[in-house]
Amino acid sequence: MAVVQQTGELIRYRSLVTNLVAKDLKVRYKNSILGFVWSLLNPLLMMLVFTFVFTQLLGETIDHFPVFVLIGLLAWNWTAASVSRGTTALIDNAPLINKVYFPRVVLPVSVVLSNGINYLLSFPVIFLFMALYRMDFTPWLVYLPVIIAVQATFLTGLVLILAALYVNFRDTIVLVEVGLTAWFFMTPIFYRVEDVVPDLVSWMYWLNPMASIVAELHTVLYYGGVPDPLFMARAFVTALLLVVIGWAMFMRVSRHLGEHL
Amino acid sequence: MALPSRRNDYAVEFRDVSRRFVLHHEHRASFQDWFIGLIRPRGVAEEFWALREVTFGVKRGETLGVVGRNGAGKSTLLKLVTRILEPTSGQVLVNGRTYAMLELGAGFHPELTGRDNIYLNGSLYGFSRKQMQRVYERVVRFAELERFVDTPVKHYSSGMFARLGFGIAVHMEPEILVIDEVLAVGDANFRAKCLRALEGLKAGGTTILFVSHDAEQVRTFCDRAALLSGGHLVDVGPAAEVIDHYERLLAEDVTLPRVGLLRVRAFDEFGLSTDVVRSGADLGLEAVLRTPGGECPAGLVLLIDLFDEHGGHLWGAGAELPAELPVAGPSRRPDDAPDTRAARMVVRDLPVTSGTLHVVATLLAATDGREPLDRAEAVLRVESAGLDQRGLLALKHEWDWQQSDVPTSLEDRIGTIFRR
Repeated sequence: MAVVQQTGELIRYRSLVTNLVAKDLKVRYKNSILGFVWSLLNPLLMMLVFTFVFTQLLGETIDHFPVFVLIGLLAWNWTAASVSRGTTALIDNAPLINKVYFPRVVLPVSVVLSNGINYLLSFPVIFLFMALYRMDFTPWLVYLPVIIAVQATFLTGLVLILAALYVNFRDTIVLVEVGLTAWFFMTPIFYRVEDVVPDLVSWMYWLNPMASIVAELHTVLYYGGVPDPLFMARAFVTALLLVVIGWAMFMRVSRHLGEHL
Repeated sequence: MALPSRRNDYAVEFRDVSRRFVLHHEHRASFQDWFIGLIRPRGVAEEFWALREVTFGVKRGETLGVVGRNGAGKSTLLKLVTRILEPTSGQVLVNGRTYAMLELGAGFHPELTGRDNIYLNGSLYGFSRKQMQRVYERVVRFAELERFVDTPVKHYSSGMFARLGFGIAVHMEPEILVIDEVLAVGDANFRAKCLRALEGLKAGGTTILFVSHDAEQVRTFCDRAALLSGGHLVDVGPAAEVIDHYERLLAEDVTLPRVGLLRVRAFDEFGLSTDVVRSGADLGLEAVLRTPGGECPAGLVLLIDLFDEHGGHLWGAGAELPAELPVAGPSRRPDDAPDTRAARMVVRDLPVTSGTLHVVATLLAATDGREPLDRAEAVLRVESAGLDQRGLLALKHEWDWQQSDVPTSLEDRIGTIFRR
């Protein structure tokens, strides 16, 4: 079957995925520790801005607001960076696609993975802030990898769809940029889910898997509470569905890439 | 799809392979175009067959040279072998690990070091890290880059770049090696070294597909050769015979008015190539022609047409080419033959506001009307000079704020015309 063959090929090219991810991180950090620290500066500054605006200007009363907002921001940054760079991954690599055959799917997948590793590397900062604010580290932290895996699956599916669309519709990226801004505000990053109008909460969860992901991250990290497996399972099923649709769309497009770019 | 071949003594087999390209004249696809397309049917797409019913086989360990003029279908053929393109009809069967060098250093990342690029490039072709570790030292030694292997390749000279690219290709121990015209770069020393390395691979049983403009190189290096012309496989057989055939074909061509259009480009006031032009400034255009023997045959017409980004025809002009044209100047590329000539024109005070401008140069034979001999296109970006103008045209205009002292009311003027 085609899917089996495509998957087998992807596995055979796994060293390409690792090399592309390594390339991405090396180029981003310019081969230096300072480069990595620099990449953390953006979310930390955003954290300061949000904290100032919401606690000082608007009088928001969420405890330990910097930690609350940082958890959501870092997860969101993974999404935003993957979506905007993943959408253009094929076109950005057009010269390569025209010269070498390799399974094209590694391009968007490696974008999601390299941004994911960037996200993982920022977890010590979250833990540091949790420690500074003397927050509890509960055993439920073991649940973190599950949440991260769900997000990775979800992003892969989404990026596959968008990358496939972008080949034929070059204005996709314009819609993506606007969509990301809207999406950011519709994800409980700087507000609590409890503060949303109750009637709309279930809608938010159904339509926006990022809402479930950020809410669960808050449960595990910020509240130190017990995660809801059913809740995550629903997000995971949505994510898997996206992967299936994305894979099909991407494979259709990628067969003809050689002439489109 | 690479299906297993029936006869396993073939490394590469083409069965009745055709490849069609559809040329859409509307360039960028977008949702916007798609919506417009719902209302207004899309413009006619032009079909172009790059290869037609090509059938041949390359036996294991054989070296096949592919020759033909520009546009004969050589690159399409190689892209089909390497799976970058899929055939429109027919079957392409490839048995064995393939390494394609369609461009030296394709896939190198400028910010990465030579070392990282070797591993990245290897993995692009599906080689594992372990396989790459085995050949790594040999690649570096071949490329003579021992001292620079930890330097980002953006600092490499073009020679170092080429050596690294070639070094990787010959050390990957591919079963099938596909090379497109890459031996044209580098100095004589390097070329000799590459040829020696290729001889080594050949002796080791690697199947090689080799595209070159250099007929002599194919004659000496290849066992067999394939001659393409206009997408058809005209001849395939022992290299010496096919090359003779190719040279006869080329010789016939010279007697015909066989002039080609290599490219069209814009140049700035210093005569340097540019793709950004200013609205209202003079636009210099240069068409670079290949003129066998350095002389234009009589009766050739060069058309220059300007289109906007939606394909709207803005302007066009044509002129018959004189026999004598100046040798192409700074735009000459090292790989251009010495018989390239330039035809230049200047559009004064370009009356177009900002946006994208497509320049199309067409070469016609004045006698047989509509059939273009050759065509070249360039895309330019027009920058507005900061004047407050809207629309397509930048028209020379001035505001008149003063009370006009000439009595030219409408009635007066009409009166004058009628009195005449």
